[in-house]
Amino acid sequence: MSEDLIFDVKNVTLRFGGVTSLNDVTLEHRRGEILAVIGPNGAGKTSLFNSLTGVYQPQKGTIDFNSARNGSSAIIGKMPHSVARLGIARTFQASRLFNALTTFENIKVGVESGQKTGPIGAMLRLPRTRHEENASDERALELLEFVGLEHRLNTMADSLPYGDRRRLEIARALGTNPEVLLLDEPAAGTNPVEKQELTNLIRKIGRDFGISVLLIEHDMRLVMALAERLYVLNFGSVIAQGTPDEIRANPTVIDAYLGSTGPDAAKESH
Amino acid sequence: MSVDEPRRTHFNKEDVRLAATCVASGLLLAVMTGPAGNPESPLEAARLSLFTGHVWGFLLFGIVVAVISVFRRKVRNGEWQSSRAVPRRSMKAYFGDFLASMSTSWWVAFFALAVLLALAIADFTGPYVPGKLSFVQLFTQLHDTRTYGYIGFLWWIINSIRLRRSVHARHGVLPGFMKTPVFRILASAFGGFIFAFCADPWLPERFSFSYFKFGGGSTTAFLSHLPTWLWTACGLLLGVRAVLGERNKTVHANRLRARQFAVSSNTSIALYGIGLFAAFEAPKFLSPFWQEAIFQQIGIFCFLAIGLNIVVGFAGLLDLGYVAFYAIGAYVNAYFSGALPIQPPFILNPFLSIPVAILVAMTAGVLLGLPTLRLRGDYLAIVTLGFGEIVYVLANNLQNLTGGAGGSGVIGNFSINVPLVHLSLNGQALGQDLDFYYLLLAFMIPILILFTSLNNSKVGRSWAAIREDEVAAASLGINGLKYKVMAFAIGASTSGVAGVLSSVKQGILFPSNFALQVSITVLVLVIFGGMGSITGVLIGSAVIGWLLQFLLFHSFIDYQDADKYMYIGALLILTMIFRPQGIWPAKRRAREFHDAEIGLGTADAVGEPAEGPLA
Repeated sequence: MSEDLIFDVKNVTLRFGGVTSLNDVTLEHRRGEILAVIGPNGAGKTSLFNSLTGVYQPQKGTIDFNSARNGSSAIIGKMPHSVARLGIARTFQASRLFNALTTFENIKVGVESGQKTGPIGAMLRLPRTRHEENASDERALELLEFVGLEHRLNTMADSLPYGDRRRLEIARALGTNPEVLLLDEPAAGTNPVEKQELTNLIRKIGRDFGISVLLIEHDMRLVMALAERLYVLNFGSVIAQGTPDEIRANPTVIDAYLGSTGPDAAKESH
Repeated sequence: MSVDEPRRTHFNKEDVRLAATCVASGLLLAVMTGPAGNPESPLEAARLSLFTGHVWGFLLFGIVVAVISVFRRKVRNGEWQSSRAVPRRSMKAYFGDFLASMSTSWWVAFFALAVLLALAIADFTGPYVPGKLSFVQLFTQLHDTRTYGYIGFLWWIINSIRLRRSVHARHGVLPGFMKTPVFRILASAFGGFIFAFCADPWLPERFSFSYFKFGGGSTTAFLSHLPTWLWTACGLLLGVRAVLGERNKTVHANRLRARQFAVSSNTSIALYGIGLFAAFEAPKFLSPFWQEAIFQQIGIFCFLAIGLNIVVGFAGLLDLGYVAFYAIGAYVNAYFSGALPIQPPFILNPFLSIPVAILVAMTAGVLLGLPTLRLRGDYLAIVTLGFGEIVYVLANNLQNLTGGAGGSGVIGNFSINVPLVHLSLNGQALGQDLDFYYLLLAFMIPILILFTSLNNSKVGRSWAAIREDEVAAASLGINGLKYKVMAFAIGASTSGVAGVLSSVKQGILFPSNFALQVSITVLVLVIFGGMGSITGVLIGSAVIGWLLQFLLFHSFIDYQDADKYMYIGALLILTMIFRPQGIWPAKRRAREFHDAEIGLGTADAVGEPAEGPLA
């Protein structure tokens, strides 16, 4: 395997009782790539994300993270927090911010999770704690500026408008210094202006930070504009993969959308 | 993003705090300059000061300062526009100008003016004497030290007014020696000394120079008065803090950005100072009833509530077996005092058994926490409830270990026996109440400081994150179990310390002191006061401690001790109906309750994250 893969997913099968949520899914995510996973509702996209982040434990198959650089690094069998420590950050479909914390504190939680400060250091405010606290303050301010929320520094997360919430969630995930960022429908529920801003932001994340991005999205325009390659899931299986142009022309994909959700979805996919 | 919110003119909490601080300062000044009292009824002087005419002057002064401060704050924050906006200048800048940019003749002229005004004010506000404001009477004021305070104050004000209008102001040019750390620390210590002087309103002759002599009993001589040196030490520490703080300017800049709209650190230091002052001085003047209420109930309640607040308030775990760790601490102390049927290898003074108690309670907390904290919500409550009962039953039934229901032997005193300091204290004997209170305070203050910085640190934020959404926290690399066990262990060790302290106070341990009801009572303290807020749980402890003591003495004739749970229960129900977030909730917690009401997230005390599909 000469390719530099960030995620190497092989033959993953995930079952809940009798329901097969992912069926023999194989997926390769190259380093530095913006990869999108699309598919009709219930196709297993979010299950895939949860398997990649250690929330679900697939029964069969292997998921290797960053294997070219890390040696052996299987995801399956690890707790979500240890998976996050490896350098995998994610956002959620319905945003899950810490609502009672301020914008600034939300990001700091992400930045600080990798720091060494323990309870004793925190109580006594030892030099290392103060040093780390400074570092996280600076990093959090940087990230706030990056996503354009610096004027909302002290706003409570629950009083942010929807578009800002999405961006804050991305900034929070970036705070953990990830190698790959998993975005679960980042544009859901945003207006066209916000969508455009989000597209630019995701592109900047790939370019400025060199972070690989894995994206689930229903908005075809956004996907086609961003993604370098796409995987299409239907009923838990990969039915197609390729560049946006190849996917657009793929008859199986059109069938999947037409067959399951009607003509509107087919129109959307073009 | 460029859409600016409309500028609204409203006052927030910070404004109110600022204004209240200013008005309170005015009143404090009135008390400080008021008539001298006597050591027998020290608060009388403060009371008298508040009923003399000159209090109105100071109150007006406070209100004027409050209005100006709030106005300037609004202008600085950009909420209001003002054509008269003056850039904020630090006290240091004023002081530099005061020293550097004045010609000698102005100094002399203003000094003379200040002296005249000060004499007039001192005489006017002084006690009534025949021939008030006469020439002789005016000069008599020079015997009083407070006149010199007025002189300094007025001199300062007159100069400041002039400097404000002066184009020659050089903005903070301090003489070189004043910038050295040593000078700044010494100046700060002197400030503490002056504060101590002002904060003793009841001592006789306090405005005369004989006040400053050594010896002559601790009630009359300012310099042999313990608080004088305590406040001086406080000033010294503040100076050290300021000097150290300046070393790291980037930190400061970032902090300032993040807390742009928060109360300035000076205001919060002032508030803490007032709290500390009250904690030190107030109990001395309480009636025996109140003293007993504080020393019997509230002190230990505060300890337990602060510890449980870590578990319930910060980490959001419902712990119903909290009293078990209290019992463990108490019995560890009893063991090392030789009060239990089994004898220890060596007898330890309670001071030394505190670290052991911390260690044992913490170990118990970790051992209980590791398996049970994987459980959620109700199950955790049930398991901890069981643990509390196990410890209680063991204490009751292990006759040969704990002495059983008949109680343990007599527990030793806190004692220090080194040159200069000899202390032996158990808080039971008449007149030891106050000393025991100060012992509690000596443990309490460091704990409060440690826990406050813990809550404002990475650990505190991680707790808040886990409490709100454990899945999201895990996605950021936070190990939920680790932080929960940490909260459990810290809470348990606090409870262990409380156990040692209260076992000494009680003298003999009975298992019935560690029944389930104690856990519940402590939980009520935390919920009533406001989960997650250290100030809140202290208030909760004080109110409920007072209530229990009040009931004991002033309730119906057939009031039994066990009836108190009826009242506590009623109080809890009322809290839940009218103010579920507690009397004085933490900002974060209040927010969570607000969110829960409008249907965003959970405000569950048990910290259960939103379950179900990971949408």
